[in-house]
Amino acid sequence: MIRVTRDLDVGATPEDLWALLWDVPRMVGCVPGCVEAREVEPHRRYEARLTQRVGPITLSVPLEVTVSKVAAPSGLTLEAKGRDRLLGATVSLSVTLAVAPSGTGSRVRVEAEGRILGKLGALGHGVIQRKAEEVIDEFGARLRRAVER
Amino acid sequence: MNVIPIRSSCSIRFTLNGRPVELDVRPEALLLDVLRDRLQLKGAKRSCDMQVCGACTVLLDGAPVSACTFLAVEADGREIVTVEGLGTEERLDPLQEAFIDHAAVQCGFCTAGMLLTAKALLAEDPAPTRQRVVHYLRGNLCRCTGYRKIVEAILACAHER
Amino acid sequence: MLRPFALYRPSTVGEAAEVLVREGPDAALYAGGTEVLLILKEGLLRVRSLVDVKRIPGLDEIRRDDGHLSIGATATHRALERAPAVHAHCPIVAGVARHVANIRVRTIGTVGGNLAFADPHSDLATLFLAFDGVVRLASPSGERDLPLAEFVRGPYETARRDDEILAAVRLAPWPAGTAGAYVKFGVHERPTLGVAVALMRGAGGDAVTDARLAVGCVGPRPQRLPEAEARMRGFTLADLARHAGEVAALAARDVDAVGDLHGSAEYKREMTRVFVQRILLVAGARAAGRDTHERYPHTVIV
Repeated sequence: MIRVTRDLDVGATPEDLWALLWDVPRMVGCVPGCVEAREVEPHRRYEARLTQRVGPITLSVPLEVTVSKVAAPSGLTLEAKGRDRLLGATVSLSVTLAVAPSGTGSRVRVEAEGRILGKLGALGHGVIQRKAEEVIDEFGARLRRAVER
Repeated sequence: MNVIPIRSSCSIRFTLNGRPVELDVRPEALLLDVLRDRLQLKGAKRSCDMQVCGACTVLLDGAPVSACTFLAVEADGREIVTVEGLGTEERLDPLQEAFIDHAAVQCGFCTAGMLLTAKALLAEDPAPTRQRVVHYLRGNLCRCTGYRKIVEAILACAHER
Repeated sequence: MLRPFALYRPSTVGEAAEVLVREGPDAALYAGGTEVLLILKEGLLRVRSLVDVKRIPGLDEIRRDDGHLSIGATATHRALERAPAVHAHCPIVAGVARHVANIRVRTIGTVGGNLAFADPHSDLATLFLAFDGVVRLASPSGERDLPLAEFVRGPYETARRDDEILAAVRLAPWPAGTAGAYVKFGVHERPTLGVAVALMRGAGGDAVTDARLAVGCVGPRPQRLPEAEARMRGFTLADLARHAGEVAALAARDVDAVGDLHGSAEYKREMTRVFVQRILLVAGARAAGRDTHERYPHTVIV
């Protein structure tokens, strides 16, 4: 099980931050390697492709993303599932985003939990966990840039 | 400055157990598959398929390699020896004799790899210490014998020379 | 069975680069194949082409070069084990090469392939850090040198650009009088932990004037441990024996450990502490002209 928790302070109001997060395609677009984020059912279902590399190995997964929980304007949970058929890797993730006011303006807590099953496991849990942390860190940086504009 | 690749097929010539062989192989063909399926030499075994167990060992210019992780095209111009190349119709190789005498064979699955690796060792070092034998054979796994008899067989063979 | 690919056999760096740039991520470099063929077999990598660099002249040379030991990228572990230049200038490298993987991998696998694949569990990458290893990357526009610590960026990730091949790694031989040692520990095919130590001593002195301590296999990439090294500077041999535990604790504190099938991060950190202490005592004994002949389970001391 991969688990990453990050707290991110941004210079924006909780309302502005929530507005970005609730614009799910735009928010998902902040995930590095996540492209083609499109809406299937507004605020319910989305699709995106996540591509990440570890050295010479590339994971490219078409994801079905569902908003499983919403508590506007302070939090939401997304579930994402998909399979990279070339690698034989199955990805399932759950990401919870929680917004709260803070000294800088607002804070978002990102809690990601997930599994990558299949041959990619040969890389080792540690490598995949580290990669997930890098991705979430970059996601946070991009969120911040997007909302502080 | 245009390199032409080998794409679908390539003619290779090599010496196999002392005899010249000419074959057409695809660039992605693995030596183990060519030996077993095209040349019907079943001595080398596909076991771990990731070069850690030694059951697929063959000798390349006298040195051990894992045929499971070796492109057949690389055999071109080289000498390959498989277990079938040890000894003759009339006489077993001294190593094979020693393995039998010392009961160093049980199921036999690792044996071809063990024999060839030992052969390479004794060619390099005709009188190895026990420690050297153990080190050299560290990458050949056996599930049956516990290794002691294999090491004894090799040492006995060495001292007989 | 492997999926089909085209096999390129360039005879110059320029030819190799041309194919690499044209094919992009659909091509992989190939020398011994002991890593790339494995991930192709596992289906973790798909390529349309392999670029075999073994026909590029000079890439397999092992020689002294301007005070350094230059090890060509396509030199095999077996060649490294036997090369006169290695025995003359960095003999411990031959000893470590002798224990890489198994005899079959050593026959065919190359030093360059090992470094360029950047598997975290690598003896040579760890050892070469203790020699201030510098890699030489060749491209059509020339060569550039990069410290090994910068070349290896993370697991399976290097700083090689798309139009570059790894040409050589250059090591700075330890000065005369250096007491060096390498320990590798593990039960798997690849090492669980590797520690390289070098204790430099000024002319005829008892004091450690400089030290190198590199730990590998436990984290994303091998690393030098500068605080532990600094702690040892100025140590007499008696100090070293007394404070080896403390230096080892520093190393364990600073090492970047990641859990995997070899063990948890906590386990690896603890093994770092245990083996750094052990290898410091070995190096200290060697500096005093003795050898400890210590044996530990699943451990090779070079």
